[in-house]
Amino acid sequence: MKLRHILATTALFALGTGAQAATELKFINCGGSDSDFVTTQGEHIAEWEAANPDYKVALEFIPWGQCQEKSITLAAAGNPVAVSYMGSRVLKQLADSELIRPFNLTDEELGSYSESVLRTVRIGDQVWGLPRAFSTKALFWNKDLFEAAGLDMPEGPKTFADVIAASKAIDENTDAKGLGIAAASFDNTMHQFLNWMYSNGGEVVDADGKVAFDSPEVVETLQFFKDVSAYAQEGPIAYDRAKLEPLFQEGQIAMYVSGGWGRGRLGNVENAGINLIPAGPSGDGHSTLLITDSLVVFEGTGVEEAAESLVRYLTSVEKQSEADRKGGWTPIRQTTDTEELIASDPTWEPFIVSIPTGGPEPLMYEYAAMQDAINEAIQGVILGEVSPAEAAKAAADELRELNGE
Amino acid sequence: MQRKIDYFPYLMLVPALALVMTIVAWPLIETFRLSFTNASMRRTVDYVGFKNYIEIFEDDFAEVIVRTFIWMFFGVTIKLVMGTLGAVLLNAAVPGRSLFRVLVMPPWIVPIAIGVFMWSWMYNGQFGMISGLGQRLGLLDGPFEFLAYGSSAFIATIVTDVWIGTPLVALYLLAAMQSIPKELYEAAWTDGASRFYRFRRVTLPLIAPSIATMALLSAIWTFNSFEIIWILTEGGPRGSTTTMIIDTYKTGLARFRYGEGAARAVMILVFLSAFAALYVALLVRLTRRNGAQS
Repeated sequence: MKLRHILATTALFALGTGAQAATELKFINCGGSDSDFVTTQGEHIAEWEAANPDYKVALEFIPWGQCQEKSITLAAAGNPVAVSYMGSRVLKQLADSELIRPFNLTDEELGSYSESVLRTVRIGDQVWGLPRAFSTKALFWNKDLFEAAGLDMPEGPKTFADVIAASKAIDENTDAKGLGIAAASFDNTMHQFLNWMYSNGGEVVDADGKVAFDSPEVVETLQFFKDVSAYAQEGPIAYDRAKLEPLFQEGQIAMYVSGGWGRGRLGNVENAGINLIPAGPSGDGHSTLLITDSLVVFEGTGVEEAAESLVRYLTSVEKQSEADRKGGWTPIRQTTDTEELIASDPTWEPFIVSIPTGGPEPLMYEYAAMQDAINEAIQGVILGEVSPAEAAKAAADELRELNGE
Repeated sequence: MQRKIDYFPYLMLVPALALVMTIVAWPLIETFRLSFTNASMRRTVDYVGFKNYIEIFEDDFAEVIVRTFIWMFFGVTIKLVMGTLGAVLLNAAVPGRSLFRVLVMPPWIVPIAIGVFMWSWMYNGQFGMISGLGQRLGLLDGPFEFLAYGSSAFIATIVTDVWIGTPLVALYLLAAMQSIPKELYEAAWTDGASRFYRFRRVTLPLIAPSIATMALLSAIWTFNSFEIIWILTEGGPRGSTTTMIIDTYKTGLARFRYGEGAARAVMILVFLSAFAALYVALLVRLTRRNGAQS
């Protein structure tokens, strides 16, 4: 009798607790769990939870290498998480596969972003992810090495021709090499190339959604890579961007392209300049690759509305600006905070003024296959196995097949 | 009188059978099924017959298969030769051989990812030990990036695979050598056989079954090796280190073409099944021979 009472009480208590328990909202965050950004995000999530007591956010941190694959595989298998942090490059694949839901933003909300930033998350008329982290790129150059090479470029390289001339002079007159090139079979090989390609007026996919990778501008950019690689560090194909950093810090290369985070990683280089990505001969001026990571809301979880509310809260103007500062990222929105940032640290300027003219990561359904095709073209040119025109044509043919043209 | 069937032993097999069906049979069947579909991230899945199998041979998959076998051949052969030599040295009656037996273990014990990262820095032209040593010895004019060129990257991945895989081969063959009766060596020594002659006519014939077994197992492991190539080159430059397992991963998981990836996985299964059949046949033959001797 006593046992029966205990069991009944326990069952009732469990039922009651279950009824009161908050609904779990699974959130996959790419990267580590011990940064200032994560702490800030945690505070923002706590604020949202306080305002939405029916929900409890279950945050899971997954290293970048496996993060996106895990979120996508879970969704494709019919077991999606509510919210996930994603490289915006995969948005088209997710949207076309009907795995994520679009955000209906008001004109005011849309207007808070630069048009160029919106292009990284918008497909057709719809926005499929809200930008969470943003990077632009600039050219870091070692002023002492330029001087040692006898170069008369007080403002640093401004054009492709300047970069080649400077690289040649540094290679011939110092122990260092010119421009550090990343060409490993890795995503930032394509990213690095796109910086230069956009500065030369090239496109992977044109405004009509057609592949344009065999345009004269792209061939010219590949030719630039071929020419400048003669004075680059030995074996660019063994390097991704991260491996170029120590070479620059040690004064073994005079130039390399990096994001805003590179400002704090100058190592032994006391006299560094940071320039806009030099302009190509066929370009309209300086440009850069705009990369955003986004927060997306998956379909089929039953908590889509709450998930969208959370994402909107985290990416609202004020909260996002705070997250940008803590994360050390290029500000996603141009607010008074941005002006203050440039005023307090002018080295941010090249990363911010290039935003309006920057180009997005191409949004193609098969992003990884697109990346492989472009990387192969770059590697083939650097290794001298194919001419720039042949490489561009081979890659364009593959991209057209991927694009269903 | 009719004999009553005792179901109890069969009942005891049910848990094991259920486990095997769940973790082996079901994924296998599902992989076969997927290989005949156009499964991707899209929610609709259609059966496409043998289209995936036809397409993979229209791509450069045949080239990938050949490359995989070349990679496996060199990896396994060098591991066996070095493992055999290592086993002979570890079996030699020298002072401190126990210490050497311990020292040979680290490449096998260290987590593969850590070992491979170490090698990736050793192959680095600017900071790496190999390039530096080559320059000091006058073999290289300047820094050389081993992972930047197709041929050197291919060789570099084999060298790393050999470094990781040799200790196990050596220890396995050492165990086989230690089971050879000492009387055979004493008799050969009494008859005036040289050290090399004893190795060739006593040691090698008696450890041959172990070498064959290890060769097959090593072939299976090497064929399936993923981490080494992925961490060092991700299959590049320009596909020069892309083996079947790398190609399958890229297709099925990195590009989310689950159907095509499954077809490639089935091809791997076919090859591995052939190795496994050879291994089983060898085991049966050895068992029969040892049975006849006893």
